[in-house]
Amino acid sequence: MSALQKKWAKSAVLLQQQQQHDPTAMANLHTLSEEDPFSTQSQSDVDWFMVRGEEEGEGEGEGAASPVDDDSSSASSMSSTGTIIPSPSRSLFARPQGIRARSTLEQIPWTTYFERELFLPSQGGKGGVTHHAYLTFPVGGGGSKRGPLFVMHHGAGSSGLSFAVLSSEIRKRLPNAGILSLDARGHGSTTTTTTGGQGEEGVDLSLDTLATDLYDVIKLTQATMRWEQELPPIILVGHSLGGAVVTHLAKSGRLGGALLGYAVLDVVEGSAMDALQSMHTYLSTRPSGFRSVKDAIEWHIRSRTIRNSVSARTSVPGLLVDTTEEQVQMGRDDKRPWKWRTNLAATQPFWEGWFVGLSKKFLEAKGAKMLLLAGTDRLDTELTIGQMQGKYALQVFPEAGHFIHEDLPEKTAIALVDFYRRNDRSQLVLPPKVSELLAQGKRV
Amino acid sequence: MADLDRAIAQLRACRPIPENEVRELCHKARELLIEEGNVVTVQAPVTICGDIHGQFHDLMELFRVGGDVPDTNYLFMGDFVDRGFYSLESFLLLLCLKVRYPDRMTLIRGNHESRQITTVYGFYDECLRKYGSANVWRYCCDVFDYLALGAIVLGASNTLSPSTGAGGGSSEPIPPELGLTEDDIEIEVRNADGHIMSRFPRQERARRAAAAAAAAARRSNSNGSPTNGAAPAPPEREVVVSAPSNTGPPGSGASGSSGGSVGNPAGAVLCVHGGLSPLIDKVDKIRLLDRKQEVPHEGAMCDLLWSDPDEIDGWGLSPRGAGFLFGADIVKVFNHRNDLSLIARAHQLVMEGFKEMFDATIVTVWSAPNYCYRCGNVAALLELSEDESGLGTYARSNGDVNRSDGGMGDGGGGGGGGGGGQRGVLAENELMSLRMRPGPARRYRVFQAAPQDSRGMPAKKPVADYFL
Repeated sequence: MSALQKKWAKSAVLLQQQQQHDPTAMANLHTLSEEDPFSTQSQSDVDWFMVRGEEEGEGEGEGAASPVDDDSSSASSMSSTGTIIPSPSRSLFARPQGIRARSTLEQIPWTTYFERELFLPSQGGKGGVTHHAYLTFPVGGGGSKRGPLFVMHHGAGSSGLSFAVLSSEIRKRLPNAGILSLDARGHGSTTTTTTGGQGEEGVDLSLDTLATDLYDVIKLTQATMRWEQELPPIILVGHSLGGAVVTHLAKSGRLGGALLGYAVLDVVEGSAMDALQSMHTYLSTRPSGFRSVKDAIEWHIRSRTIRNSVSARTSVPGLLVDTTEEQVQMGRDDKRPWKWRTNLAATQPFWEGWFVGLSKKFLEAKGAKMLLLAGTDRLDTELTIGQMQGKYALQVFPEAGHFIHEDLPEKTAIALVDFYRRNDRSQLVLPPKVSELLAQGKRV
Repeated sequence: MADLDRAIAQLRACRPIPENEVRELCHKARELLIEEGNVVTVQAPVTICGDIHGQFHDLMELFRVGGDVPDTNYLFMGDFVDRGFYSLESFLLLLCLKVRYPDRMTLIRGNHESRQITTVYGFYDECLRKYGSANVWRYCCDVFDYLALGAIVLGASNTLSPSTGAGGGSSEPIPPELGLTEDDIEIEVRNADGHIMSRFPRQERARRAAAAAAAAARRSNSNGSPTNGAAPAPPEREVVVSAPSNTGPPGSGASGSSGGSVGNPAGAVLCVHGGLSPLIDKVDKIRLLDRKQEVPHEGAMCDLLWSDPDEIDGWGLSPRGAGFLFGADIVKVFNHRNDLSLIARAHQLVMEGFKEMFDATIVTVWSAPNYCYRCGNVAALLELSEDESGLGTYARSNGDVNRSDGGMGDGGGGGGGGGGGQRGVLAENELMSLRMRPGPARRYRVFQAAPQDSRGMPAKKPVADYFL
């Protein structure tokens, strides 16, 4: 043990030196070393891992060498058992992405990723809603012969553009796939008319309402696009809150035979409920506003909320509103006029309702199921049992943060496309049953 | 050997051995495993165990309940690592025991014995944490590639031998009103202290009722009261299927003339981690695989490690995303074709520790109690007794020894082709009531999680900071 301790002491010294060179890594390191002094243990044993720091890390470069290219922040969930990982040493070399002087923080418009946007008025619930969604058409013949439609639902405080980069990665691998990514009410460009104002407090964000909205958007899209006979095969994809929404819709069975399967990204009932307690603390650490969109993009990348600068440049602008005019009218001079579009703290009354019973619904709903997590320690008991009984497919990307699909769009796309291909009914050929063979007079 | 014994002692104390010793151990283990065929032949008596998943203290409890090595002959069906906090100590101990007592310890590969899975589910992290480098993980992964894919147990008895495990030979008499003798017992369930929890007689006609009672008994066994499932059963139509005509070791597919497997009245038992594959209709086809590689994403080798039995007809898509689901018809035909009486497999968590399916043609054995330290399940191991009728034994063989012909049953080639084809014919009405041969007598020992020593357990991770 003493050899190990020596090693550790040595590495701590080395670490300090490194910190002086790389001020940006310092913040991360501080949090980490507070959490666990042994996390630097492997510092002196760098020979085993590949140094990836020089790579243009836009999320495209994550290779098969997943165990070694982690560059987790303090929020990482790299390990399944809460074991200590040598991430500090790695992030020393693999510098946080996107804050190099030469990298641009210009926003990327949605037209880069989607064919069109839809405004779909609806009279659901307690008043009017105009749903906003981004769409890329599924290609091919009508109904079930058409390419699959991936229907995306983002998490709380996010927007439909969260799936933009993922969408293009899916299309690269499955050119006939369609993508429908909506803005939930109170988010993005979806507007509600009863409770006055856009995305203000008072918007009904209960799980039932959101699931009905999702269903309505699918149906309204079908009407608008004149897919007359039937819906294309649908894969529901939900991130975080969106995962709860798609699971709720899948469990309701309202999509009938069109629903091929559903994929839930990084949300599990048990760990979500645990995290709710610390949610206000987390929210209070976020800046309340930004000087510009660029500032906001930089904050997302620097804080490693979103670890892929291309995706951040696409999705972050949709999260904010410019309040300059209001501020001027009110005679204030706010240096940070770009405010969050969705007041997350105000959605608290709905939080528990989103997640209660999620694991059970996830296991019980009909259709193929996939769970993508940023760490196995997020599984609760129910899903741990379910997983070990082989009830659903689990994929874990330890190197991603909570926004898996933004951090690792390529890997997520591969997982989703494989998931679709496996469950594609038109392609599915299983070996014959014994009774069929016997009926054909074959020997078994 | 002194070194090895010292390493074993150190690992038994749950202390990792130095990196250079791991390297040497893995090297020796590989030399040993490379000589084994894809399907290892194991002679009863044997104690069959399912998933361990790094739950070291529960592995110690398993050895206490099942008897120590080398006194007990063990067969572990994979998934030694991941999830638990002591994957390293668990796997290295098993490996040491394998090297020290090669004929008393059989290890076959589970789906977690793979580079890709261990990097995600904990073993990789654990090696880094305990050694500060990934070298040990690499040595272990190299060993994984050489683990056998399955095992065939020969010479299992139709009757149970006296219990020798924990609690010694506590032999509780069978209530006389049942009119049964010890020899009639097909299934016996004992708790960790060796006390009988339930017994089920071997009466073909009572089979259905007994199985139902067994399920009920298992459910109600929480109070530990012994249950006898000898309820009178409705007569069941038994169709006698002509005995397969092969003489090679059962499961080898080698065929000949003498009608069944001499010295093996209970039929052979195939042990595999996951289950069957649509690409494998004969055990011999497993022998032809090139196993020395990372577990592939699809194909026969993947299926053997990933598939699950399910209450369906034929084959189904596995929700796991790898392998298949397979129904009772598939199992019965496979067992018949290969002269097997039982398939033992692991891979799926069963809350009661073991679960027999499809008229006891396949059993799931799970040996990780309170899985992940929170699932609340019990664990089990399966003991098969030695047949002492003296009708011949087979030496343990690592390769294809004992096969009377080298060809595949249906591959054309030798005279085996004809015989194999002939006995494969079944009429439809035979299928549903098909019962190949009486299965071996099975003793399950059910045990709970060992009291957990919290030392060495990594601190719980802080919850993720953003989850909406």
